Amino acid sequence: MKLLKWFAGISVCAWAGQYLLALFIPNLMMEVLYAVGTRQFGSNHLTVSPLPDETFRSVVRPSPDLLYASCIYNLENGPIEIEAPIPPRYWSMQFYQMNTDNYAGITNQRDERNRVGTVATVTLISEDDSPQNYTGEVIQSPTERGMILLRASAIGDRSQQQAALAASRCGPAG
Amino acid sequence: MLTFAIKLGAAAVLTVLLSAVLLAVRISDGLDSMSVRNGDWVTSVATGSKDAGVILKATVALGGLLASTQENSMYYRLSTVDGEPLRLQCRYRIEGDDYDADWWSITAYGWDNYLIPNPQKRYSFNNENLVRNADGSWAITVAASKQAGNWLPVGPSGAADWRKPGDYDFDLLLRLYTPGDAYLRAPQSAALPTVTLEACQ
Repeated sequence: MKLLKWFAGISVCAWAGQYLLALFIPNLMMEVLYAVGTRQFGSNHLTVSPLPDETFRSVVRPSPDLLYASCIYNLENGPIEIEAPIPPRYWSMQFYQMNTDNYAGITNQRDERNRVGTVATVTLISEDDSPQNYTGEVIQSPTERGMILLRASAIGDRSQQQAALAASRCGPAG
Repeated sequence: MLTFAIKLGAAAVLTVLLSAVLLAVRISDGLDSMSVRNGDWVTSVATGSKDAGVILKATVALGGLLASTQENSMYYRLSTVDGEPLRLQCRYRIEGDDYDADWWSITAYGWDNYLIPNPQKRYSFNNENLVRNADGSWAITVAASKQAGNWLPVGPSGAADWRKPGDYDFDLLLRLYTPGDAYLRAPQSAALPTVTLEACQ
């Protein structure tokens, strides 16, 4: 009877425990990505990656049909500004917080096709800052740290997309 | 008292181990309450979103970190055909047409979630680089050995075999960028390529 009680207790705790472990994993993976990324490239700095192939191991499931540029950000010392010329074909700028949520994003698709040929300028501020203090496109990050990922189509002639990512920047605002 | 403490410690260790096993099973299954099946393809309507459940978030963190929300791109994954896991010793045929999206691609990934090493450096096909039939339809052959036409080579993953979490040797990921309403509203029935098993060695 005693053994049965132990068994039941362990089973119930383990069932609940899987959810606690699952809660922990996204933050852990982002922390690893953040630590590796900042060690290699620093924070608040845009890094353009080569076209993914089998040697691309910084992020799982890279698309070989996309060009990537990333900026690991830290708003501890104030807002940052991202400037990105918008090329033709698919392009997007996605914002991720430290639990992996894709909390904001802009693209040159759908109703934003008129963005092509312009420069997207986004000020990224922390949650305790007020968007009213800034002009232009402002996005509020739910966490002080996170990651911005720029994706651009690598289908066909990708020279314009490559040039657009190379000309993009991420750094302290102002 | 000491005996009770030892028992409690052992129970705690067992609980953590069992929790990890349960979670590993859930993650390798790749499904949660927000997952949708469309034939052999599986997608989740909450990928990348704050509404995703804890198991889905953990699954995406391990197997698709930095995925975006469905309005930007939808991801359909296929790791089995008619219930049988994708195997390197088998040959598969993917057939399809065009899909309501700005663009789309089909990529093969090893079980380690990375692109599969191959001398051809061919990891995917997209809506523009496929050789098509006169009516616009197309077929891709997925196999480890050279095939005529649109051949998507597969082979051993780069990681050590002992880390392999499931039965499948590789999987296929269909990405639809800026998907149309049919995918956003009815992902379980929207048009997708069909994948069939042709032969196994």
